Formats: sequence, structure tokens, C-alpha cells
Amino acid sequence: MNRVRLAAGLVAATALLIPFAACSTTTGGGGATDAGTVAQELVASGQYPVENLDPHSVSGGSAGMDLVAKHIYSRLTATDETGKIVGDLATEWSANDAGDTWTFKLRDGVKFTDGSALDSADVVASFQRFLELDSPPAANFPGVEISAPDPTTVVFKSPKPDAAIPSKLTTFHLLPEETPVTEGGVGETPVGSGPFQVESFAAGREVVLVPNPDYFGGAPSLTKLTLQTIPEISTRLTALQTGEVAVVWGVPDDQLAELQAAGSIKTEAVPSAGSVLIWFNSSRPYFKDKPEVRRALWQAIDFATIIEQIHPETGTPADSPIAPTVFGYAPQEPVKYDPEAAKETLTKAGFDFDKTYELQYQSQFKPFVSAIVSDLAEIGVRIDAREKEQAVYIEDLLALRWDINFQQVGSAGFDASTNLGRLYTCAAKRNGYCNPELDKLLAEAGSNPDQAQRQELYAQAGKIIWEDAVGMFPMFVKTSYAWNEKVSGFTLDPQGLPDFRAAKVAGQ
Amino acid sequence: MTTAASLTEVETVRPVARRRFRLGSVGTLAPLVIIGGYLVVAALGPVLLPYDPIATPLADRLLPPGSTTASGGTAWLGTDALGRDLLGQIVHGARTSVIIGVCVVLISLTVGILIGAVAGFRGGWVDAVLARCIDVLQAFPGLVLAIVIAGIFARSLLLVIIALSVTNWISFARVTRGVVLSLRQRHWVDAARLMGVPGPLLLVRHVLPFTAGPLVAMATLEFALVVLAEAGLSFLGIGLPTSVVSWGQTVAAGRGYLASAWWISAWPGLALSVLVVSVGILGDQLTARFGRARGR
Repeated sequence: MNRVRLAAGLVAATALLIPFAACSTTTGGGGATDAGTVAQELVASGQYPVENLDPHSVSGGSAGMDLVAKHIYSRLTATDETGKIVGDLATEWSANDAGDTWTFKLRDGVKFTDGSALDSADVVASFQRFLELDSPPAANFPGVEISAPDPTTVVFKSPKPDAAIPSKLTTFHLLPEETPVTEGGVGETPVGSGPFQVESFAAGREVVLVPNPDYFGGAPSLTKLTLQTIPEISTRLTALQTGEVAVVWGVPDDQLAELQAAGSIKTEAVPSAGSVLIWFNSSRPYFKDKPEVRRALWQAIDFATIIEQIHPETGTPADSPIAPTVFGYAPQEPVKYDPEAAKETLTKAGFDFDKTYELQYQSQFKPFVSAIVSDLAEIGVRIDAREKEQAVYIEDLLALRWDINFQQVGSAGFDASTNLGRLYTCAAKRNGYCNPELDKLLAEAGSNPDQAQRQELYAQAGKIIWEDAVGMFPMFVKTSYAWNEKVSGFTLDPQGLPDFRAAKVAGQ
Repeated sequence: MTTAASLTEVETVRPVARRRFRLGSVGTLAPLVIIGGYLVVAALGPVLLPYDPIATPLADRLLPPGSTTASGGTAWLGTDALGRDLLGQIVHGARTSVIIGVCVVLISLTVGILIGAVAGFRGGWVDAVLARCIDVLQAFPGLVLAIVIAGIFARSLLLVIIALSVTNWISFARVTRGVVLSLRQRHWVDAARLMGVPGPLLLVRHVLPFTAGPLVAMATLEFALVVLAEAGLSFLGIGLPTSVVSWGQTVAAGRGYLASAWWISAWPGLALSVLVVSVGILGDQLTARFGRARGR
């Protein structure tokens, strides 16, 4: 009786396991279809989720949104790999003598994916929607008005001269005129004019793109592009190594070394316009009007060792609030690591050592933040490091619900106006710091048509931000890419927004 | 005071149990020794081996087991991605796990016995209400509820203990209620009631001792589950503050390095597995002896 039961059990177990053997784990990444040709399907995985497909929503300007938006929508201008401003939908542009009116000529014969023609009326409607929904990049265009004298021309009028309008327009995406002016009004399969269109969208997980046959730059050679989000780094790298995903970026240094040892993976670290910033909430009484306290906290942290140990390949010590590749960069006097002097300054300033200060960050910076907490604990400053996921993080960031904020920020369009000019004014209310002198410098720098003078003004503004320690600026960031050697043709974008319109998958 | 009838019952049961269960058998001795070892490490280890969870000696990052650290000491179990010694993390994590396990089990036992005994003994509408409460709470997935509770409030050790106790008392309550229900009409209970022994005293002296067996067996198994649940919460990064060392946190910190610095996740994982398996085996043995409530 027992032997029969055992045999029956084994047969049943084997029968149950057979379906699992039939399942395969690899999906995209390229496999041979018929003799010689390889399926041009590519799966790329970023770290930041795409919550919705509306570029004018509150997710506008976030890394996930920007990555998808550049593939499905057009912009007037875009940046190429070196950071130069090139025309996307606009063929040429010029400013008037005063520098406050910019005229853009639009490409002719462009169609949206629903077949309707793209003309200046769509640009005007999109821009007004962009401003009305108060998307974060809309802060680049205070008081700017748009008009369309004819179907292929748009004119931007700024209240003050603004030399950076072309760079700032890299953050503005075009939608059809009829799109409802509500958050998420684009729906799940939006109409756009970019190289790809959306086939399916699973919010927070993946978006599947197929080529737009009417794209004015020529339809992409890929037949399917899947942009996945795998927030967990080890899962992402495993997917790359098994062939499930073909391109990943944002690889931490430890894992980059591991991948370099593997055979079929190529890696590269590209200097970006991004840098790490650690703001102090200057609207809170213990940081407000206390530059000596903020500088002392900066002095207390040994950033050189942290960068050397944790980011040997993707980080370099910073000497300015903005990266060297950004227009307006000027080197400042580095802050020396001196914990004793820092502690003395803090004690003299009456710093409250009994209070626990809240530092907010997102998960990929955990080692860096742990090291900061450790260094500050050595001089007796207590930090509660709160890891927050993206949606909560952004909400708390904008509401100033933090004492210290750890973030990586780029400069869109490689121009200081989108970074310094957008984040450090009194009106911006992004870190509670308000300095009328800085405001004047930034306003002047933003409106001056002379690039040399702008450079000088941004240098002075950078000096104030640095020496007043509005935040700590420890590191310039390089973006690390890792991809399957069969893939080529995609751009190694320094901002971590690779462009796949020219990507190809090679044969076996 | 027990009557003659119950004395004979006890006497007939005990010899049978003794045949099935010897304290000296390897099956119970090995787990007991292992668990004892863990308790000793949890109690004395942190005293003998100081460890600072906040300090990050970056110069000692990712050292394999047995390497020498920058300050001259030896990292017997290696270091993690921030240079922190793993032996210290295992020892201090043992303390955290044992404290949380013991506290949660004690709280669950207390609450469970209280509610189960009252429900079983009083009967009537009290029993009906309490039994339905138990049923409703049993429908909640315990770990998910613990995650929700731990995620909402500010992190602390007390919060984790409360979050894990919220659904853990149910099984104790059910067992207690079952035993009490089956025993409250017995002869000795009736006799004591006739003699004028007040209700609560009756419950405590004449009924509850019979729940000891199954409850002890259950408590041992629950301890293992609580230790696992706490490690799960810490792995997810909720519940315990970073200043409290936990095996779950260590495993989480090592999961990006499984192919290179495998020791970061391996040691706490091993410690967890051995503890849970030992407790499970011990609990199994105890259930074999005590599982069926005596006096039935």
C-alpha cells in the first residue's frame, strides 16, 4: 500500500512540474527569427518609474517621464550627446535685439500619430497647458507668453530678456491642441509626434513602444522598444546578464566592476551635467540665516573619502554647485574636512545637538547617506535618514517637509539658468533660502543677451550659493551605462536619458 | 485541589507519554543546545563585542571573512559595503531577534490566554462575541497587517513588537478556549465550584494548568515565526530604526552583492535558518508530547 502511494505521489509531482519546464524566462533582447535576420526588439531598464505619460503633469521633469517623453513626443529643441542645443521640431530660431522675444520656425509637414497635422496652434495650446498645469519645468518660464503669427512660426515673449529660452525649451513637450487640460488628460496611449508611439503602458512598471511610421526624422529600425522599470539594482543587473534586458544605466560602482569582468557586457561612465546636492531647509529656524552652521556641517563630513570609496568611477569631488559641462560653471574654493573646527563652530553658534534632524533621500543613495550620518554622528549631530520612494519623496520635497534633502540634480539644456536660476530664487521656494542679492544676480544673468556677462554673473551667483552653504555640493556625477554588446546605435546620454531611435540589435 | 479521579487520569497518561519522549534523545537535545547557544550569544555577545551600527569605516569595505581591517583587528566574518563588521552585526542581531521574539510571544500568550480563558469559561454571549472577534482577526493576513502598521508609524522597537503581536495571539486564544471549553464541565471543576471556589481562582488553579502543554509547544513554534517575520520586516526596511541591528537589515544590505561579497547576506541568512529550524524541531518534539491537550 505504501509503495503504491509513494509511486502515485512521485507521478503526480512530476506531472505538476512539467508545465514549469515549458516556461521560458527570457523575453526580449533579440533572438533569431528567420534565416539571418534578428528581431529588432529591445528591452531597456531604467531605475525611475514612469507614473504617467503626461509631460505637463507634476511628474514633468522627472527622470522616468523625460525618458519616455523624448521618445514619444517632440520638443522645439533638444540637446545632443555633447550638450549642444539642436533643433527637434524647430528648424531655426532667433532673438530680437532686446533679447526678450524669440521666434522659432517650425518644420513643415509634421503629423501626429492620429494623422492630424502639427502646426503652431498645437504649440501654443501645449505651452499654455504646460503653464496651467504648473509642471515643475514650467518654473523655467515665468511670465512668458506665446503667440503664433502663422502656422509654422511661434513667438515667445518674455517679460525680461532671456538668453536661455532655447535651452529651456528642451523641457517642453508638444501635445495636440485637443488634449484636455487635466492631469493625465493624454490617456494611456497618447498622441504624439516622436519617433515612437505607445502600444501599451503599465504605470510604474513598463511602457511598450512601437515605431511611428510618419515620424519626420525617419521611422526607427527597432520594431519594439520596451522601457521597463526595475528599481532593485541586483534584479536589473541579473536581467542584463541573463539577456532579459539589453541596456541598463545608473549602475553603482561596485556592480560596474563586476559587470566589466563578464564577457558580453560593455560598460562606460559618461560625464554628465548632474551633481549631488544636499540642501539645508533654510526656512527652518535652526538653519535660517545661519550660514556658519550650514558651513560647519559641511566641514564635518569627509566627502573625499566617501567619494573615493563608494563612487570611485562615477563620482568626482565637486568644486561648484553645477557641473563643469554646464554653461555658467565656475570653480569655487573647496571646503576642507575639519570635524573639530566644525564642532567648535556649531557649539559657539548654539546648535541644538539633542534634536534629531531629518534627512530625506531615495534608495539608490543609501550608502552615501549612511556615510554622511556616520560622519555627523562623530561630532554629535543626530540625523534620522528617511528613505522615501519617488512619489512621496517628490511630494515632501516640494512641500519642504525635510531638514536636509539629498538629491541628484542636472541642468536641463546644459545651462545654469535651468538649475541655479530655477531653484535658488526667493520665489522658487525649493529650499527656503532667500537672498535678494542672489535674486538680482540670477535675474540679470537670465536676461542678459551677452554670454560672457552671463558667465560672469553665474560665477558670482555660484559663489554666493557655495559660500553661504545653501546646501552641500560634494560630487559631480558620471552616468554609468551597461549594455549587451549586440546592441548599438543608442546615445550614451550624460543625463541618463538614452535615446533609442537609431538603435539596432546585431545578429548572433 | 484535585480529586482522586483526576489523579488516576494523570497517572495513566504520564507513563505512555514517557515512552514516546525522552529528554535525552538527540532529537530534542541538539536543538536545545543550539537555541541555548543563541540565547547565550544574545545575552552576553553585545556586552563582549561592542558594535556601532551608525559608524561607517569606509576603508574596510567589502573585506572577505578573515581579513585584517585598517585599524588592525580581524573581520572574522568579513565586512559589508560600508565597512561594518559582520560578526558584530550577527551578535547584536541575535539580541534584537531574541528580544522581539520573546516579547511578542509573551504578549501574545498573555492576551491569548486571557481572552481564550474568558471566552471558554464564561460561555454564552461573551463567548459568542469573543469567538467571532477571533474569527474576524484570523481573516487578516498577519504579516501584511504587520507591514501596514509598521509602515505607518515612526520606527521603533516597540512598534515592531506591537505590529507582530496584533495577530499572533489568536492561535493561543483558540487553543486556550478549546481546552477550557472541554474541561469546564469536568468532575473536579464541578466539585471545586460546589465547594465555593470563586470563578477566576477556579479557572487559574483547576483548568488553565492543562493548557500549559499545548501552549508551550505552540509558543516555541510562534517564536520561530516571529523571528522570521521580524527579519522580513527589517529586510523590507520598515519597522526598526537603523540604529537597531537586525539580521533582516543585514541581508537586505547584501542583496546587491550576492555574486561578489556573498558573505554579507550569507551569515545572517544562515543564522536565521539554523535558529528557525532548531526551534521548529524543538517545537515539533514538544507538540508530539503535549500537543493533544491532556484530560480529554
